[in-house]
Amino acid sequence: MNWTSCLFLLCSLMAGGFAVAVVLSSNIVRMAFYLVLSLAATAGLFFLAGADFVGAMQLMIYVGGTLVLLVFGVMLTAQSQFVQMRTSSGELLTALILGGALLVVLVSTAINVPAWQPTSNPAVDSATPVITATPIGMALEGYRVDQLTQPDTALRRGMSGYLFPFIIVSVHLLVVLIGAAYLARAKRPVVERMR
Amino acid sequence: MAHLLNQIFDWFAAWLGGSVANDSVAGYVVAALIYLALLLNLVAVGALVFIWLERKVSGRIQDRLGPTRVGGKFGWLQTLADGIKLLTKEDLIPGDADKLLFRIAPYVGFCASLSAFIAIPFAGRDFPFVAQHLNVAVFFVLAVMGLEVFAVILAGYASASKWSLFGAMREAAQVVSYEVPMGLCVVVPVMLAGSMDLVHIGDKQQGWFTNWYLFHDPFTFIVFWVYFTCGTASVNRAPFDLAEAESELVAGFHTEYSGLRWSFFFMAEYGSMLAVSLLAAILFLGGWNGPIPVASLLGLTWHNGPLVGYLGNFLGMLNVLAKAFLLVTVMMWVRWTLPRLRIDQVMTTCLKYCTPIAAAMFVGAALWHMTLPDRVFAGLLQSPAANRLLAEPLPGDSIQLDLQTVEAATIARGGRP
Amino acid sequence: MTTAQTIEIDVRTDEMLVNMGPQHPSTHGVLRLVLRTDGEVVSEVMPHIGYLHRCAEKIGENLTARQWVPYTDRMDYLAGMNMNLGWALAVEKLMDYQVPERGRHLRVIIAELGRIASHLVGMGAYGLDLGTFSPFLYAFREREKILDLFEEVCGARLTYSYLTVGGATADFPPGWLEKCEAFLDQFVPVIDEYHALLTTNAIFIKRTAGVGLLSAEMAIDYGCTGPVLRGSGVDYDLRRDGEPIYTSMYEGYDYEVICQRAGHYPKDQEYPPVPIEAVLGDCWHRFYVRMLEVVQAIGLVRQAMAKYRASDGSFGEPMKLNQKLPKGEVYLETESPRGQMGFGLVSNGTAIPWRARARSSCFCNLSVVSELCRGCLIADVPAIVGSLDIVMGEIDR
Repeated sequence: MNWTSCLFLLCSLMAGGFAVAVVLSSNIVRMAFYLVLSLAATAGLFFLAGADFVGAMQLMIYVGGTLVLLVFGVMLTAQSQFVQMRTSSGELLTALILGGALLVVLVSTAINVPAWQPTSNPAVDSATPVITATPIGMALEGYRVDQLTQPDTALRRGMSGYLFPFIIVSVHLLVVLIGAAYLARAKRPVVERMR
Repeated sequence: MAHLLNQIFDWFAAWLGGSVANDSVAGYVVAALIYLALLLNLVAVGALVFIWLERKVSGRIQDRLGPTRVGGKFGWLQTLADGIKLLTKEDLIPGDADKLLFRIAPYVGFCASLSAFIAIPFAGRDFPFVAQHLNVAVFFVLAVMGLEVFAVILAGYASASKWSLFGAMREAAQVVSYEVPMGLCVVVPVMLAGSMDLVHIGDKQQGWFTNWYLFHDPFTFIVFWVYFTCGTASVNRAPFDLAEAESELVAGFHTEYSGLRWSFFFMAEYGSMLAVSLLAAILFLGGWNGPIPVASLLGLTWHNGPLVGYLGNFLGMLNVLAKAFLLVTVMMWVRWTLPRLRIDQVMTTCLKYCTPIAAAMFVGAALWHMTLPDRVFAGLLQSPAANRLLAEPLPGDSIQLDLQTVEAATIARGGRP
Repeated sequence: MTTAQTIEIDVRTDEMLVNMGPQHPSTHGVLRLVLRTDGEVVSEVMPHIGYLHRCAEKIGENLTARQWVPYTDRMDYLAGMNMNLGWALAVEKLMDYQVPERGRHLRVIIAELGRIASHLVGMGAYGLDLGTFSPFLYAFREREKILDLFEEVCGARLTYSYLTVGGATADFPPGWLEKCEAFLDQFVPVIDEYHALLTTNAIFIKRTAGVGLLSAEMAIDYGCTGPVLRGSGVDYDLRRDGEPIYTSMYEGYDYEVICQRAGHYPKDQEYPPVPIEAVLGDCWHRFYVRMLEVVQAIGLVRQAMAKYRASDGSFGEPMKLNQKLPKGEVYLETESPRGQMGFGLVSNGTAIPWRARARSSCFCNLSVVSELCRGCLIADVPAIVGSLDIVMGEIDR
């Protein structure tokens, strides 16, 4: 057994195990905590696959950002100190059916796609250079490093990059931020004016 | 390192009549354990030293002597005595607490603080002293340090105490906000170096202190101070220590903790102080490249053989640690001098001052870098030849864009040791 | 006639009741504040007192007038000398006794040194309330020197019982005045350190300026006294405006009541300027008044020492322990460091007072806290309570 599969097994077991714990737990903050661990293990899988950037992204956005806000929100909205969630059997059944169906679809897809079949090569060959975040960053700025062999200059340069979508997304996010600030602004008390 | 270990194992195994594959799990596990032991030692011993130093510094600031008795003249074993006291203290868990989360929270904090050190290099060049040479080390360190807030939130929530909950709420609001300006500040050296690889960023500043990014241009000089402020805030040090504000919230999120669990919070705090300072030292203060390049003046470079280069790297490690210690001491100095800010003032500092300043400085540094490429020390000096050997031209650097170079640079930078 | 009305629903959160104290680092002893908070905002503060009640007044009805003196310095234990003085003057008023010239100046020296010592605690502890530890120790370093001086005159560092009915228990030991002089010379430059660490510190100003605004009217309505009252700009100090038996002590002394008149403190060009953010009656002004009173007390001690040296004769004759009191009823207020400390005494002609009562200055000063803290943040509560500089021993007695 090589180290990759060893660590893969460890991370995937953690991700899966804590995902199950999320479902089985009834305390909502504990659920969030298990979700953190599950997502952190997923980040570990990304690191294992050599996708450092995505792994760090996963940690920062999902584990560090979203879940902090989630736990925070749960803490603040909780009516009592520790919230217990009760699930009715009907909901449990629906969830089981839906989850089972999703599992079947995913597993069958994973098995049936030929490109995803295990090969004789190990997952990461240490001799080949790992593709890093730099090509992603350059592609976002308009330079496609993976298109360097393109004979067409236009395709090789700016045309093939993702600068435009990147700008659109950033502007969109800016608008969202301004909107959020507008919605969350300090409210003035309503002054009734008689005319 | 793992491959080397596996080769050694293979050598031993051949002696016994077996063989060990080059990518056997054993080598990786042993290598990981070695790194872990080294880093744990750094954080734990660092915490010991820092707590002693904090007592000494605060003592001197307050016209006292600080510890003088335990362990001889300077009381340098004081922290150890404190540790024994903490170990033997009664371990209390409040009756109403969420016991599982209450127990886990300190370890979450310590893990987050320790994990940041995985990607922080202590020396660079041909054989960097780093547990895991990550291509996105800066990003990783920031992401992992952001996880420490979890420990505080969980501790505050699980304690079932109102003061703890207040502390946790403040911490969450503060840390999430301060990540924004801190990220903006970190982007500036990343932009100047053209890489998120901390080894690369450190190596780009080699030579005299004039090559430090702190002095690269006026904008980076300001950015450093903004970064240091935000770093102080993100590790909850005074004047931003609102989560544990003792005059308001008794002890904030660790009100209900005692004994060893409490000391884990402290270790995490000192660990992340060191991490933030190390990051500042590498990003702005030249990392392992001293004010005076002693190692290269003495000829301790990798050109003269691996052993000599290793020695040079060792000097570099001492250098970066000295800088980080200095910054930690500055944090202590600030803590024992200034009053604490109020929560709204902390947020104002972050959102109204730090973030816009950092953003403006980022734009300024980018423009400066565009108009005066290859110049350092506020544009007064030509960047040294050694620098240019290391620095691969980036797309923005020159008009004659050579895409082949870009590709070569990309692959070269992605190469793992 | 229609009214366009926009209904905006604010995010409502549950209110929470939080106990601040009686065991809390910044409630100056055993004060218990119940805060009703909405997040970080405090909507109501209810002070609860009585955790340090020791029946001092009832004890006073079972002891002779001089025997009760040690109980008075356990009331405001940070300014025991001034408490002793208050009770001694009240009994002297009943007995119609005038302390000789030398004793008068001795009392001024001791009382003003006590004021400095007390204000040093108030200042240092205020730094603690705002989260800085060093000024506290800087203040205590100097306070310790005053306590050394006190120890030399009476043997005690906290519970002096030195100023007593009829004068004082003893005269200054030889060489004491020189030591006191040396202390004052050394102390004056130290005040600049306090100004650097606190008064002019940007964060300190941010935390205190405009916080806990107490208007002059409100201060008078609630019966606030001392630096709290003068910090709101009310020109009132019992050393000048009190009863003759007390004001005669300060006769011939050159001093000014510290309070802002027409936008200026007395001699304020010598001290750090008032920041623009500060509003008269806020925490910063209360703090500033204390700092200036310290400077003024130094001047008073210097004058008193000169006068003490010039005078001769007795420093007073302490009354006997079981001396009978004349029949009658008196009440006298003196300017203690925290405000007007009043002592009341009803005598039926025996040595033991029929009634002994104390009027607490801190009690009235504390009563404004619920008014000042309405709508402030949690972090402001210690800032406001600290600026009132209360001592629970005096409130609960």
